[in-house]
Amino acid sequence: MTAVASETAADPDSDGPGLYREGRIGIWVGSLMLLAMLVAGALVPALSEFHPNELVARPLLPPSATHYFGTDQLGRDVFVRVFAAVYRDLGVAFLGVVIPLVVGTLVGIVLSTLRNGFVVNAINTLIEAINALPLLVLAIALIAILGPGLTSIVIILALTNWARYARIAQTRAAVVKQQGFMEAVRLLGYSRTRIYLRHFLPNVSSETIAYGLSDFILVIMLVSGLSFLSLGAAPPTAEWGVMMSEGRPFVRDAWWMTIFPGLALCWAGVALSFLAEGLHRREQGIS
Amino acid sequence: MDATDHSRSAGRRVLGSLGYRTLRAAAVSFWVMVIAFGLIRLAPGDPVLARLGAEAEPAAIERLRRQLRLDVDPVTQFVEYFLALLKGDLGVSIENGRRVSDIIATSLPVTLWVIAVTVVLGLCMAVPLAAWVATARHSSVPYIFRAVTSVFLAIPAFFTALIALIVLGVHYGVAPIIGYKPDFPENLYYVWLPALVICTHLVPVLSRVLYSSIKETMAEEFVETGVVRGVGRLRFYWYYLLRPSLAPSIVLLSYMVGVMVGATVIIETIFSLPGIGRALVGAVIGRDYPVVQGCVLLFGLAVVAINLVGDVLASWLDPRLELR
Repeated sequence: MTAVASETAADPDSDGPGLYREGRIGIWVGSLMLLAMLVAGALVPALSEFHPNELVARPLLPPSATHYFGTDQLGRDVFVRVFAAVYRDLGVAFLGVVIPLVVGTLVGIVLSTLRNGFVVNAINTLIEAINALPLLVLAIALIAILGPGLTSIVIILALTNWARYARIAQTRAAVVKQQGFMEAVRLLGYSRTRIYLRHFLPNVSSETIAYGLSDFILVIMLVSGLSFLSLGAAPPTAEWGVMMSEGRPFVRDAWWMTIFPGLALCWAGVALSFLAEGLHRREQGIS
Repeated sequence: MDATDHSRSAGRRVLGSLGYRTLRAAAVSFWVMVIAFGLIRLAPGDPVLARLGAEAEPAAIERLRRQLRLDVDPVTQFVEYFLALLKGDLGVSIENGRRVSDIIATSLPVTLWVIAVTVVLGLCMAVPLAAWVATARHSSVPYIFRAVTSVFLAIPAFFTALIALIVLGVHYGVAPIIGYKPDFPENLYYVWLPALVICTHLVPVLSRVLYSSIKETMAEEFVETGVVRGVGRLRFYWYYLLRPSLAPSIVLLSYMVGVMVGATVIIETIFSLPGIGRALVGAVIGRDYPVVQGCVLLFGLAVVAINLVGDVLASWLDPRLELR
């Protein structure tokens, strides 16, 4: 995440091939991968003859023409379960990004308008302290209190992750304030509300949204990672982390139980990573 | 940050850069302590009921409440907690009655060792890689470099760890599947694979930033001077390219240590290393609040301290940072 911030500041390598410079390949490949996953996540569970939580065959069957990804230790179809998890994993991660994104951006903007140095300093050190604690460590510690579950993960992300967005929004807001167009819209006599909503907020949020996209990858890994440690979704649920941790004791003989959910997770991560990289490139190409 | 620039520059003048940074780190540490303290008390729901269950005997509830010192008012609690902390007393585990400081003392060296090996391994890979990509003649090299690092960053470490364990541990038998020995040459055998797995995330981030800053350095005039003066190859690489470019990576590395500490939590669990991350996961599953609190505090303080060291080291490597 710090990498993203520092790379935006100075990116001297704009000498790649033309297509790459504007990040078109990244945006296209990333969006198509993501779209394919979302479509499959909707269609596969709907059209398949198997239910994700139903025992449909003998346990630990290897991949075959009936069960493309084999069956798990209880005899459930891994293929359906992998795709049934798409909206659960991506949905939880989406909430876990959007809530902190909105809260953090607003907090950052408010902080940038405050005049009281003491209050700003106190809140800034608090933000720094939250950011100093590794997200996973803080999340695990809070799960000790809230109890495991996907709802807890969303609450935890809302409680902690806003600090990173607030830091970015605050830095960005200070830069935007210095820019010429802010002076221009003020001289044009626009109302304060209009200036803030139409000119200030979009310029600040473009930066936090860009970070949000790369944060999405980290949050997906956090959600599935916590579930993998049995601190997230509970076992009967079709969720990639849960499925991987269920497959772990059988990994020697029934590799398909662990590998396929893992590949789905990688697919989502790579799609978002390409998309984030492409958009970052395009932003650089324009400015 | 920028909003407080005014007070920051004033602070710098008075205390000097190092003093100011130390003071700031102390303030952040204080907040970390407040967060660790508040974890049990400020969260919604009753931690005692969460541990014992709703049908627990009133006497047992009362006993645990007294043990966790939840029966007195929050201000007294905080003062007690703070004073105990100054004496190095982090409380006692509810689970087995061991002192939290003892639990940390036995598990922390394992985690530190994993991180140390990871950092050394990561630097050995990232520095040559970045220097090679930055000086490569062919224009597609940086392009491929970016794409490959993006893919690596998108693969979760626990998936890589599982695959590495199946392939290298089970199939080829070149890495241990379980266990740990704390003595020096032997423990390398137990941590090289976990360290390598964490490197799949560390090396992409590190080499990207290093690559960007080497490119930036290459645009500076003194690099040309070096070429014109015809200095030796190694000397050129270190004095003209790498040393001026290292500072941002050192700062980044110190932040990445925080991220790595987070990563070790999952990695230690998968490789069954008796480190602090596994202690934390165990404590959370057993709802052993004092241990959780102690681990969080330690993680936070460690990250603050490492970031401070990173800042100081960076300004030593690149004195230009001080002027900005």
